[in-house]
Amino acid sequence: MSATVSMRDALYEAPGPKTRKRVLVGTAISLVLLALGIAFVIRQFYINDQLNPKYWSFFGRWTTWRFLLKGLWGTIKVAATAGVIAMALGLLLMLGRISPNKLLSSACHVITEIFRSLPSLLLIYFFFLVIPKYGIRMPSFWMITIPVSLAASGVLAEVFRAGVNAVPKGQVEAAMSLGMTHGKITRKIVLPQALKIVIPSLVSQLVVVVKDTTVAYVVSYPDLMQNARVLISNYDALVSMYFVVAIIYIAINYATNQFSVYLAHRMGTQVVSRMDENPV
Amino acid sequence: MSIQTSMPIISMRHVDKHFGQLHVLRDINLDVAKGEVVVLIGPSGSGKSTLCRTINRLETIDSGEILFEGKPLPQEGKELAAMRAEIGMVFQSFNLFAHKTILDNVTMGPVEVLHRPRKEAEAEAMELLDRVGVAAQAHKVPAQLSGGQQQRVAIARSLAMHPKAMLFDEPTSALDPEMINEVLDVMVELAGMGMTMVVVTHEMNFARRVSNRVVFMADGQIVEQNTPDEFFDHPKSERAKDFLDSIKGH
Repeated sequence: MSATVSMRDALYEAPGPKTRKRVLVGTAISLVLLALGIAFVIRQFYINDQLNPKYWSFFGRWTTWRFLLKGLWGTIKVAATAGVIAMALGLLLMLGRISPNKLLSSACHVITEIFRSLPSLLLIYFFFLVIPKYGIRMPSFWMITIPVSLAASGVLAEVFRAGVNAVPKGQVEAAMSLGMTHGKITRKIVLPQALKIVIPSLVSQLVVVVKDTTVAYVVSYPDLMQNARVLISNYDALVSMYFVVAIIYIAINYATNQFSVYLAHRMGTQVVSRMDENPV
Repeated sequence: MSIQTSMPIISMRHVDKHFGQLHVLRDINLDVAKGEVVVLIGPSGSGKSTLCRTINRLETIDSGEILFEGKPLPQEGKELAAMRAEIGMVFQSFNLFAHKTILDNVTMGPVEVLHRPRKEAEAEAMELLDRVGVAAQAHKVPAQLSGGQQQRVAIARSLAMHPKAMLFDEPTSALDPEMINEVLDVMVELAGMGMTMVVVTHEMNFARRVSNRVVFMADGQIVEQNTPDEFFDHPKSERAKDFLDSIKGH
């Protein structure tokens, strides 16, 4: 039932005849502007000789795509690993922060704030430039994955905490009145409900992780962006290559977002469909 | 027997509590005997819910002391949890665990706190659900039940812990009128079986019919307490007279 109600329907009153006319006119104007914009871009491409086949023909070769796909696989490996580490670390930081132990709680608060506010590039420089000076060597994969994980863990800790705060206080009070201890209440009552609430935000946060991996070139890790840069210098094809790579990133993140919409929908409708079986 | 009835199971001594500037409980002294049904009534904001919630320390107190079976309430940790396990509580908004089935709601305490085998806990839970008339809903989730059904499940969930006393914090205030009686019926039955009960309620008929004592509160104080018949027929204080007048006859 709720799945058919769009955000606009939920937030605004139904449009009347005048509004409908305005919306129609607005839509028409936007379409014209969009068409003009696309025409302008194509014209600029043409004027600057960017439509010249030499900039595009190498996309017809399998080797180009194989190299890009290798890079894409590198991106996916880093993003997936960093996503998993960040979720685990974020969960731990949040659990520490809500613990009744004041010392642990403030320590986790401080760590969360630090990771959350440091730019991931700065963390990457730290792992790339500072840590090796102390004789610790690690493969470039980890030099990109660890800093990206740390940066994301701070944000994810806050996402988890928002979920925990969204669980009604009465749930905790009921559990307390049964004699359950803090740890048990967290594990059995609060976390299962909090995770359900934050799954959509968690997945959209993964999009940020994917975008963060693009700085992998700093540590020369062969991700999609890095391999694209290699191809650019080989073929001297800056605009066309970035254009294609941008579309690939948009596709990945669109897919990720769709996945979160799917998850949210599934979790939201689960209760409704079960209700339909046996209406009260 | 006579010794048990003479020692109060719940005892509050000079209890004070503030919410910031607001003095919500003022020098509360209250004893509840084993098997006694005490009803707390009073205008909203009088502190009756807060008083009820201090008994299992869902609300802390600033000064004074609260004894359960003669022992002061533990302040924290496992000891506090163990004490809470012996006192049932029913909330205004039911507070059933939203992600669990009705059956799992009732077995949660026995399995997780009393460490009883799941099979055994489920068998007893089914009996309890049957007793409160919602056994047919055992495998649904709380959102699928009516308010009255949810509240009866909440009572069953408390009973599954075999509590020594039960607190009811406005158990029928969130219910549609036609569902109030089904919950009150269960509470009447409990009182008849000798359960010690502290009930915050606006149901004056219930108070008159079932309680052993009515405690009237206003502005954080216990203004007067008496047997229900005495209190309703011959209130002594002006506050109680005004309150009874204001809710009378419609």
